[in-house]
Amino acid sequence: MGRALHSIFWRAVGFLVVLELMLAPAILYFPEFKKHTQSLRAMAPLPVLRNVIDTLEAGGVFAYVAGQHFFKGCNTLGTAAAVLFACGAVAGEVHRGTFEIWLARPISRRRMLTERWLQGAAAVTIPVLLSTLTIPWLLGFVEQSLPLWPLILCALHQSALLVAVYSLTFFLSTLARAPMGIAFVMLFFTVLQFSIYLVENVTHFSLFRLTDVERFLYIQQHGTFEWSKLLPLLAISALAYIASLVAFSRRTP
Amino acid sequence: MAQQADGRIEIRGLARRFGAKVALEPLDLDVEPGRVTGLLGPNGSGKSTLMRCLIGLVPPDSGSARVDGVELSGDGTAIRRRCTYSPGEIALYGELTGEQHLDWFLRGREREARTRARELANAFELPLARRVHTYSHGMKRQLMFAAALAPRVRVRILDEPSEGLDPQKRSTMIQLLERDVAAGTTVLLSSHHLGEVDRMCSTFVFLSGGKKISVGSASEIASRARRLVRVSWPAGVTLAPLAARVRSAQASVRGGRLVAELSSDDPRPFLAELAGWPDVPAPLAIDYGQTSLEELYRDLYGVEEAC
Repeated sequence: MGRALHSIFWRAVGFLVVLELMLAPAILYFPEFKKHTQSLRAMAPLPVLRNVIDTLEAGGVFAYVAGQHFFKGCNTLGTAAAVLFACGAVAGEVHRGTFEIWLARPISRRRMLTERWLQGAAAVTIPVLLSTLTIPWLLGFVEQSLPLWPLILCALHQSALLVAVYSLTFFLSTLARAPMGIAFVMLFFTVLQFSIYLVENVTHFSLFRLTDVERFLYIQQHGTFEWSKLLPLLAISALAYIASLVAFSRRTP
Repeated sequence: MAQQADGRIEIRGLARRFGAKVALEPLDLDVEPGRVTGLLGPNGSGKSTLMRCLIGLVPPDSGSARVDGVELSGDGTAIRRRCTYSPGEIALYGELTGEQHLDWFLRGREREARTRARELANAFELPLARRVHTYSHGMKRQLMFAAALAPRVRVRILDEPSEGLDPQKRSTMIQLLERDVAAGTTVLLSSHHLGEVDRMCSTFVFLSGGKKISVGSASEIASRARRLVRVSWPAGVTLAPLAARVRSAQASVRGGRLVAELSSDDPRPFLAELAGWPDVPAPLAIDYGQTSLEELYRDLYGVEEAC
């Protein structure tokens, strides 16, 4: 296994384990949630959160699972993982002084960068898909069931957001020298986006509007992607990847 | 487009700036195939930039280059397939073992290169099973050299390949390189170790401030060196006016001595002129015809020691 692949493999395993550790207790808590929904609603400090609880209550177990796994788990832990996986992609080589030997091999820059981008993107998306596959099995413990296909579509939709965040961070990594600086900037950006989501008047400006529970309920009800929300995410990823190629082609040791 | 794939390196008007700093002024150079050409010059003279431009790590602002018949274009991948490169700065992936590192370096090369790299590493007695973060500076250098020498290519570009090596390892490296060159490989190397360059190189290129200030074959350098006369006077004698008085040679003051470059191999006109200065104290020493490469380097750059 290649050096970068080896490193990204263990990061992906770590991400999967943590996702699963968040998912399993959340599903096992479902009967309690059903029993205490009204109390939780009364305790919610913000109107946006009360709306989320209303949506979860109305959407049943699917909405609850989507809220716990995708909206909460993947949007928070997933974006952090996406940022951390991408911030050192190129800047990490510059920072540790290995940029020159990395470039000196008889491999084109386009191929080098594409391989690295794909490895990181896979490390972000595969754990989301794998953890999603365990949802029907976990639901069996609380005597609930869900069809797998809508969950897979939701996981792919969620992955599109993570890949978009990953690609933006990756692009910054092709420009900068300090991976930690990039990580701080992007983590601040994602926290800011989450904060915006929680403020009623500006919530529609948040990136996480594209992956909130309502989006997943749409996918469940229609059995297909909500393309008006998915396409912008794919476009962000594509543009960031192309910009990364351009920046990387000009980068010198 | 590959043309004349014989290991020749042709450089025409290659130039590069980094912001306001001129790293390389438009430079023409022909590196003959099957020989070792040494790039010499102080730090910041443009040696590494030239090498990086040649293999596409740094895109030149203008000019062209052809390595082993392949034109420098795009990101230089085509050229990197035709040559090997060992960078001057050492930074490796400490978490990899020496063996894993060789495999990593040689990705994109023929399969046999990995076997040869292991043989070369064994010649240096490198512990390939150990992680690279436990290696000394010299061991890392040897590992990079083994990776640069292993692929079957016609051209090798080596930036200070012996830096940090002890005399024994340096000697092993020179032997391996000489054997490689005897098989027809072209080597362009930079080094601050003038003794080693003197032993290995058949052509010398002197760079300073991004400019090529002198090029010569070993015999041309020797011939030029034979025409240098160095005259030392006791302390207190002001040399600059003396240098201005010299008519039979090009004279200047370098390293606390008057250095005269004669127009022929015959030193007698200059010595006669010197003898005709009754107002000047007798010289302490006159060196003639024994100039080493190191002394020539000092004279060219006006420094007491090579950097």
